[in-house]
Amino acid sequence: MLQAINLTKRYGPGQLPSLDALNLSIQPGEIFCLLGQNGAGKTTTINLFLGFLQPTSGQAIINGLNVAEHPQETKKFLAYLPETVMLYPNLTGTENLDFFAQLAGFRHTPDELHTLLSRAGLQTEAHGKRVGTYSKGMRQKVGIAIALAKQAKALLLDEPTSGLDPKASNEFSAILTGLAQTGTAILMATHDIFRAREVGTRIGIMRAGHLVESLSASDLTANELEAIYLQTV
Amino acid sequence: MIRLAFIQFMRAGRYAGAGTRIGLIFLLTVGIISLFVGKQFSQRQQQAVADVIEFQQTDFPRQAAIHRDDMGLLLYYLKFSVVNQTRPLTALAIGQRDVNPSVQSVTIRALEGQQYDADLTNPANLLLGNVDFSFVLVYLFPLLIVAFTYSIISEEKENGTWSIVAVQSRNLLGFVGQLFLIRLAVLLAVLLVIIGLAVPTLGTPLDGSLGLFLATSVGYVLFWFSVCFWVASLQRRSSTNAILLLGIWLGLLIVLPAGVNNYITARYPVPEAQATTQAQRKGVHEKWDTDKTATIKKFYAHYPQFRQVPVVAMPFDWRWYYAMQQLGDDESAEQAHELKQKLQQRETASRSIAQFIPTLHTQLQLGELARSGLGNQLRFMDYTGRFHEKMRLYFYPRIFTNAPVSAEPWTNFKVDTFADTAPSSPVAVLGPLLLFIALFTGLGWNRFRRTIYHL
Repeated sequence: MLQAINLTKRYGPGQLPSLDALNLSIQPGEIFCLLGQNGAGKTTTINLFLGFLQPTSGQAIINGLNVAEHPQETKKFLAYLPETVMLYPNLTGTENLDFFAQLAGFRHTPDELHTLLSRAGLQTEAHGKRVGTYSKGMRQKVGIAIALAKQAKALLLDEPTSGLDPKASNEFSAILTGLAQTGTAILMATHDIFRAREVGTRIGIMRAGHLVESLSASDLTANELEAIYLQTV
Repeated sequence: MIRLAFIQFMRAGRYAGAGTRIGLIFLLTVGIISLFVGKQFSQRQQQAVADVIEFQQTDFPRQAAIHRDDMGLLLYYLKFSVVNQTRPLTALAIGQRDVNPSVQSVTIRALEGQQYDADLTNPANLLLGNVDFSFVLVYLFPLLIVAFTYSIISEEKENGTWSIVAVQSRNLLGFVGQLFLIRLAVLLAVLLVIIGLAVPTLGTPLDGSLGLFLATSVGYVLFWFSVCFWVASLQRRSSTNAILLLGIWLGLLIVLPAGVNNYITARYPVPEAQATTQAQRKGVHEKWDTDKTATIKKFYAHYPQFRQVPVVAMPFDWRWYYAMQQLGDDESAEQAHELKQKLQQRETASRSIAQFIPTLHTQLQLGELARSGLGNQLRFMDYTGRFHEKMRLYFYPRIFTNAPVSAEPWTNFKVDTFADTAPSSPVAVLGPLLLFIALFTGLGWNRFRRTIYHL
């Protein structure tokens, strides 16, 4: 579903590549967690899949389509949750969800909207309040609901649990596992080694634009993973 | 989604949607004030015309009674008025009508000295210009268009909503287009409300002129939207967009018009109307010291038909006097012609240049449709000249034969009205605007198509 072929990004001529010949393939139902320090190339990878950046060379492919050549078509298969979800502060949580769902071509009844928000963990009394009054975590939950509403085949997550409290984070993991079981391919950049071990099917460790390790999550304990991570970076 | 995008737009602003709504209320208020400015102007004009009509009705019989034996002396005093018809539309674009008089009153004496009288106007008003509808449209609408659209994509990028929008949207360019269309619809609604109110307030008839006036206004608004669309497609920061758009506003509305005005003034220097007046006065007054027969001879050369009119005894040699007046005009004809020609050249040049400057073009065309521009003034002056000539030719034989004053039906001399019927071609009016709209929309669309997803 998600595939990178020699994907390379250099931000300026003469600079070291931020992403160097990445090769990656994520099948439907797989959760691929990218670990790595700040500046290792995780967000660059996600932005290349989103088409926000043009690759210097190589290809990012979604459902068989090259993102650089088909920026619009590939969006149909994608949902995205950024590190900090920003919404329209003048609209309520429900209105924001309704708006973004309609952008993607979905019309939901108010009941469905509330169900989605609740599923994402947003407390019922907040649904009708303007997002300007929300905390970061609450916005993050609306962002999750937006991603859920799209029922996309591939999900790109850029440190999605930052700002979520442990309980919400745990619920989010359950949602991700559920999505993977229904065949969604998930790419998640994260700093949370333990959560990566828990939800991921595979774990990649990046350093200076290179994918230096690609491990199967089921073969490792969290402590082993941490040890490998610390050795690698 | 359009509904939510609309709500989001209307709620925009720091304090519960103050920004957008204050802007709209401000524009609507100024628009309505502009209608009252127009209404006042139009009432002043109507009053002036009514005064002149009444004056002519009472003054002619009175003068005729005083000078009942002397046709020549009577016509020395009688002032025949011509009104440059003010249409209801004129109140929407007052143009030069505040400086140029809409009523010209001429005696049949030498014309040139009488043609360049201007109205008395408060100079402070002239400095600021009239806050009429055309001002609101040409200067203020673009400011609000800029304020509503300068950050359409950039603000979403700065606030972080853009990435989710870009991923969620099935047709991102279409979405951006919708954001522009929402704002366009709101501002067009304000425009329509103002013009809609003008119909009952000013009594504007629902005719082709109003239609073209409205179409020009809509075209002008669309032009600014296309410029904003293009600037948005450059994908700069909000602050950069704002500076760029205000720069364009300044350039198109202040700098370029001032530059063009300077160029035209320098390129077509107009001899002072005063020079014409002086030449005419010199032409007249020299004749006091010139041999009378020479003056009469020149007069006959101009109007051979009066050679046959037998000389009769009268209180004063009016034939010679009016010949002298006539020669004043004849001798200043060259200057007068040059003045009119230069003014005409200015008008032509500014119209041609304006085709490439949509703001100037709109202003000129609104003035033209409202009959308040230089073109109208020139045609009015021509008409006054013809009217003056007609009056002369009617009265010369009566003066030269000292026809009895009482034989003339003085109350039948109504105030004459000049109805400007110079046609306006919709293609010439709307064409340049449409071309610019297509140009900027095309440039913006083309750029967006390639770069809309780029961060």
